[in-house]
Amino acid sequence: MANVDVHPGSGIAPPLRWRELWLKEDWWAIWLGLGIVLVAYAVFAGGGSIRWIAVTPAKWSTLPQLGAHFAANYARYLVQLVAWLAVFSLALTALGHRAREFIPSFLILYVLSVGIFVLGQWDKANTYNLEPPLVALAVGLVLSNLIGLPRWLDAGFRVEFYIKTGIVLLGATLPFTLIVWAGPAAILQASIVSIVTFAVIYGVAVRLGLDKRLAATLGAGGAVCGVSAAIAVAGAVGAKRDHAPIAITTVILWAVAMIFVLPFLAQALHLPAGVGGAWIGTSEFADAAGFAAAQTYGDLASHGAVPGTSEQAVFAYTLIKVVGRDAWIGIWAFVLAIIATTRWERAETGRKPDAAEIWWRFPKFVIGFLIASLLVTFVTTGYALADYNKTVVPALVGPIKDLRTWAFIFCFLSIGLTTRFRELASAGKKPFFAFGVGAIVNVIVGFILSAIVFAAHWQNLAP
Amino acid sequence: MSRPTPHASTQAMRQCRTCRHFRNDAAFLEAALPGLASLSSGYGSVRADDGLCLLHDRYLGARSSCADHALPQTQSRPAEVATR
Repeated sequence: MANVDVHPGSGIAPPLRWRELWLKEDWWAIWLGLGIVLVAYAVFAGGGSIRWIAVTPAKWSTLPQLGAHFAANYARYLVQLVAWLAVFSLALTALGHRAREFIPSFLILYVLSVGIFVLGQWDKANTYNLEPPLVALAVGLVLSNLIGLPRWLDAGFRVEFYIKTGIVLLGATLPFTLIVWAGPAAILQASIVSIVTFAVIYGVAVRLGLDKRLAATLGAGGAVCGVSAAIAVAGAVGAKRDHAPIAITTVILWAVAMIFVLPFLAQALHLPAGVGGAWIGTSEFADAAGFAAAQTYGDLASHGAVPGTSEQAVFAYTLIKVVGRDAWIGIWAFVLAIIATTRWERAETGRKPDAAEIWWRFPKFVIGFLIASLLVTFVTTGYALADYNKTVVPALVGPIKDLRTWAFIFCFLSIGLTTRFRELASAGKKPFFAFGVGAIVNVIVGFILSAIVFAAHWQNLAP
Repeated sequence: MSRPTPHASTQAMRQCRTCRHFRNDAAFLEAALPGLASLSSGYGSVRADDGLCLLHDRYLGARSSCADHALPQTQSRPAEVATR
């Protein structure tokens, strides 16, 4: 447990209710993501494009080429940096962060992100397996664990905020018709894996003599959405104070390892991009970690190392993870709260489970993801495929995708920059073992469903 | 942990949300739970308004209650925003 400055509660905290709209980062991810999509569409409808500000490093093979790119485009990068600073500062100060800490921190993050992006665009990058998500993660881990960064810099390393914003932007690039077509299979596959994984982790943990509330917290972490699920279920079942840190440590260690293992294991098994993305969606724990792995697999596809397209890997992952698993965390928490209060420790916390908990805990950014998809699908329905590819993709969808890539790189770097292994709580052998058994079962069941049962479904995922 | 009070209205007044031992502001939780900000966040919706009971060392919802409930000495600053 961290040595924190503990003061007794200083007053009455009213229920969040409508205040959630500006006190939770999920809503800010929606405001920013949908705001960007709406601005992009407004400019597009006026005959223009936000491409100028959505600048990304171009492919390069020599340093003079790279230098020429930045000499020609430095103003675009500066304006983009100022725009990111403005919107993120607005959101994060509303959430309670200090702008004077966030701004210098984000400047460092942006410069590092440019470096990661540049490295990924090097024409020899795939020769040396320099996949940007993995490089970002590795650079972040080295800086935070071997060199060390001041704690206050964490103000700009907001992993979840960046990934949620990126997911909302991703919605704008994912046709709603695809969500409707692939969603039911994603939910079915994710549900099977989630239930099996939870049952295994919970069962093994209880057999090892661990507290049922810790077992449930660990199980949710492995079965649903990693640390976020663990913390949601810990609160729902009234876990002991040390349960959440144990689950957090366990999830982080497994998730970080899986980022590096899953893409190359999928490649070794010759899985098509869509199938690999779906497998990563069922087998990774946290959204951010999974996106790093799925994006890596997508990059391998874009280099021709695996069949399929980069977007197939990312879309299949998103459908399984966000639509199939994340959206159901409220139901998991509600059901486990009922079990905890009626079977495990009746009357201990004096709390009756409330069905409204399903909404309170709903990851609201999923709403933004669906609205963004619906919005862009709706405004582009009138285009024939050829016109869509010729007009809509370069002027509207492409720039949004590029901004999404920036948000993801901010996230991947932030994972490494905030993961300080020596500061994590000691997890203990039993929780680590129970979670590990579940993780292995999860990977096997996920592979069977992704690569055998639903293989044709994910392999043919458009586009 | 002690048993809850029998009457709903009394119980509502004794919810953890109004207790001096309860802390649920996001910054505090991110500091108290190492690694929370690495692959998740204290500011996310899934956490709802859960927090730590510093008396019983439990992580639980703000609507929980117990007989050890104690009102804060000053009620001028909401706990959710106290450290921001």
